[in-house]
Amino acid sequence: MNVDLHGSIGVAGVGQSGPSAADPRSIPEMVLDAVERALGDAVVRWVDIDAVVTASVDLFDGLTASNVAVTEVIGAVMKPETRIAADGLCAAIHAACQLRAGACRTVLVVAHGKASMAPRAAIEAWAVDPIFLQPLGVNFSTIAGLEARLLCDRDPEAVERWGHVVARRRADAAPHGVAAAVAPEDVLAAPVLASPLTQAMEAPPADAAYAVVLRADGDGLPVRWVAAGHDLEAHAPGDRPLSSRPGLRRAFDRACRSAALAPDAPFGLLEPSCRYPHEEDLLRQVLGAACKSAAISPGGGLYAGDAPCAAGLGRLVDAARRLRDEPRLGRALVHGAWGPAGQGQAVAILEAAP
Amino acid sequence: MIREGSIHIPFTYAAGRAASRFLVVLRDEGRILGSPCPACRRVLCPARSFCPRCGEETGEPVVVDPAGTVVSFTETAAGVFGLVRPDGADTAMLHRLLPAGAKWTIGARVRARLLPERTGSITDIEGFEPLEATEDHA
Repeated sequence: MNVDLHGSIGVAGVGQSGPSAADPRSIPEMVLDAVERALGDAVVRWVDIDAVVTASVDLFDGLTASNVAVTEVIGAVMKPETRIAADGLCAAIHAACQLRAGACRTVLVVAHGKASMAPRAAIEAWAVDPIFLQPLGVNFSTIAGLEARLLCDRDPEAVERWGHVVARRRADAAPHGVAAAVAPEDVLAAPVLASPLTQAMEAPPADAAYAVVLRADGDGLPVRWVAAGHDLEAHAPGDRPLSSRPGLRRAFDRACRSAALAPDAPFGLLEPSCRYPHEEDLLRQVLGAACKSAAISPGGGLYAGDAPCAAGLGRLVDAARRLRDEPRLGRALVHGAWGPAGQGQAVAILEAAP
Repeated sequence: MIREGSIHIPFTYAAGRAASRFLVVLRDEGRILGSPCPACRRVLCPARSFCPRCGEETGEPVVVDPAGTVVSFTETAAGVFGLVRPDGADTAMLHRLLPAGAKWTIGARVRARLLPERTGSITDIEGFEPLEATEDHA
């Protein structure tokens, strides 16, 4: 196989199943639906796929080696298959690396999460340190509250602003999402989740599967994968600065260097994985001038439905569609996050073909 | 159709060298240990075997003060949780703030309240309470 290692990577096709509040189908059925849509969108067949990368986490799927359950519906039998136990955007980054390495010409990326299977907070309580944190009964929302508190302590208007941000995202998401629109005052008046965050400020959990076909030699495609970066912070929330996202900063800087972009080069579109509104503040803090004129989550982002481990790939699907429909947006930043208080951070830069 | 299922699998988690020492000293002596990093010079609390920033093996644990400062806090249905940086440490511990109904602020001074009967768990610290309350008790 001859692949131009310096040629561009293109987003050849995207597909999704959901989000829905409780999909009655099995995970393989949801995944197959998303994969068939992505293959159809890319106008390729299973035989054209050289390798598959999936993202899932066993605890969320309630079984060990959760990727094994979907290998047959992703066409991975007798092909190189890799599973990433992190956000779906990391699976896409892994796929892009395979393409850059010249190992493949076409890679299918799949991420799935079915939040309706079990209480999200209970599962996330198992994802924190078993010696110092689990016995306390804390989960990701507890740690998000600690993070949000630091921001609102130095910005007295932050909480009210978050109410408006959430209302806007929920309104944008309502036509195709799992939750209804909510007025800003109702966002603020909702029961406390982890103060200063209210329950209405948290993106609603959902069931969804996403699939993306990435292709080498992507010059003729309408959306190009330009660069990516990822990073990991310390796990313990007391070990790191929660009022900023240095991990996101490093991931973003890596992506910019890889793309030979100045850090203040403007983006026309941001598709962040923000489960809570204060995370948008942290993202803006990192991006600075680069996001000044960007459209942020025009479809409501994670407020349409937050499928565990799949959210970042969902942002990639939304961004690719938007760039295809509105190439004038030019450049998009896609963001994925995982772990407590965004311990893991990933970004990808996409561009509409000129 | 839906099949109801659940997973009940007991696990044993080894705390590791430094965290085990932290838990033993907490249980037996009622003191809180931190671990100094020889590279970045931070004292990490609770004690752990490696510095997450430098990857260096930490040095001999040191006792940090049971008094400290609230770095952040959050109220939840399960109680109030805070990040508390003990005096003498450079990182913060996540733990309960007591009492739940108190008015908390960042920068508040607190002290660890220990259980009289301790078992070697992070919950041997019942939580952190306002320093004035502990002074009243004294």
